[in-house]
Amino acid sequence: VTGRRFLLGVASVVTALLLQLTVVGRLPLPGVAPDLVLVLVVAFALAEGPMSGLVTGWSAGLLADALAAHELGRLGLAYGLAGYVTGMMQDETERSTLQPFGAVALGAVVALAGYVGVGLLLGDPRVSLHAVTRSLVSAVPYDVVLTPFVVPLVAGLVRRLDPDPLRRT
Amino acid sequence: VRGSRRLRLTLVLLLLSAFTLTALDNTTAESGPLAAVRRGIDTLFGPVQRAMGGAAGSVGRALGGLPRLGSYQSDNRKLQREVDALNGRLASLAGLQCQVDQVHQLMHLVDVTGYSVVPARVVAVGPSGGFEWTAVIDAGSADGVKPSQTVLTGAGLVGRTTKVSAHTSRVLLLADRDFTVGGTLAQVASIGFARGNGDRPMTYSLASNRAPVRKGDVLLTTGSDTYAAGIPIGTVTAVAPDSNAISRSATVAPFVDVSSLDLVGVVQNAARTAPRGVLRPVGPGPSPTSSPCPPAVPQGPVPTSTPTPSRAPVPTPSGTASPVPRATATPTRSP
Repeated sequence: VTGRRFLLGVASVVTALLLQLTVVGRLPLPGVAPDLVLVLVVAFALAEGPMSGLVTGWSAGLLADALAAHELGRLGLAYGLAGYVTGMMQDETERSTLQPFGAVALGAVVALAGYVGVGLLLGDPRVSLHAVTRSLVSAVPYDVVLTPFVVPLVAGLVRRLDPDPLRRT
Repeated sequence: VRGSRRLRLTLVLLLLSAFTLTALDNTTAESGPLAAVRRGIDTLFGPVQRAMGGAAGSVGRALGGLPRLGSYQSDNRKLQREVDALNGRLASLAGLQCQVDQVHQLMHLVDVTGYSVVPARVVAVGPSGGFEWTAVIDAGSADGVKPSQTVLTGAGLVGRTTKVSAHTSRVLLLADRDFTVGGTLAQVASIGFARGNGDRPMTYSLASNRAPVRKGDVLLTTGSDTYAAGIPIGTVTAVAPDSNAISRSATVAPFVDVSSLDLVGVVQNAARTAPRGVLRPVGPGPSPTSSPCPPAVPQGPVPTSTPTPSRAPVPTPSGTASPVPRATATPTRSP
């Protein structure tokens, strides 16, 4: 990991999180707002593989946790897991145009499952069937809608930093 | 093969560390090194959120006028431009009018209750995922805001402050499931507490199963260490039918829609009881018809401890309730 790649990760995560909290999270959409940070994590996982997805997701999640009302580490676990799982889907040789959409949907569901799972272990009163289904039917489709805006951008930035696809993964 | 081993090791390590942090944070909630880390990150992110939240708000207000544009079929370019410009101004004026209305409403509630209020704007929301209901406002300890203070709009209760940094504060909104507030029905002087229920209306649990709760009753805060008394919360929309249980519950639709907040106020001098005037002895003299209370004494907006046969006037979200007795002692702090 070069210094410039590290800077790209930090800058994109902080930017995405700030945009999420001040703009995306406040959009007057029915249901739960999309999660820009999660889409970013999946985009890194698709561009660079499971290790990148895991580390990016874990750090972005911890940063988001620090600004949330719940315990530290819950989004870190959820996003880290989502980045790892979607990074396993990454395959340079056979990639269809629909693959990123499926990966984002899968990542959103995995992150939701991780967050809800830890919440159930801790007895979090906020985790309810109603909240989970609401998130599934609104936030997950919204995340998929964000895919074409985020995934190509991240892929382009990563490629510009290191054009060799073998070294990237 | 080595690569995948390293990957799996990292996976296990990072997931374990995340879960350990969660467990630690869950047990050492408000103290310890983790709280210090959070405060530090709050201090770093606060100013940026303030700046971005303000800019995003004006962009949103500007975008609000866009759908009105483009529906004109004038060939004259100049006219079209003028129409566009005027429409833009109209939209921004509508936005301004909205803000003026919000300030007006807030001032009305401030007048009625006699509380001093620090005005603030919502600049960001918390990372919720649909589970949490928190917001970030652009007033902090430098403005006199402290943790656990009542946050309201002109329409009624919004929530309470939780973590306060120098120039921003986090607010736990009344929709959050962690949110509980003591509530009194204005009309029947009941005892109970209201709980947040996510995007659904709040649940009001009454201590007594015989309290005569009716649909349309107005719920006010009881007043506690945290919450100022006499702040309107919402109206009862449904009463649970079972009256055999030890307590009963009602559904309360809040006056404030916490998903679209802009201007809020943080109560500074919260009284723990409903605001009321002091009863003074009436001097000797035959004046049974004159009021025993001097008009200068601030009166509460609603009687919270005496059931009255007629519906007491209460501050309504529309702000049009003029029968509310206006307190003459206006708060010293002005926005």
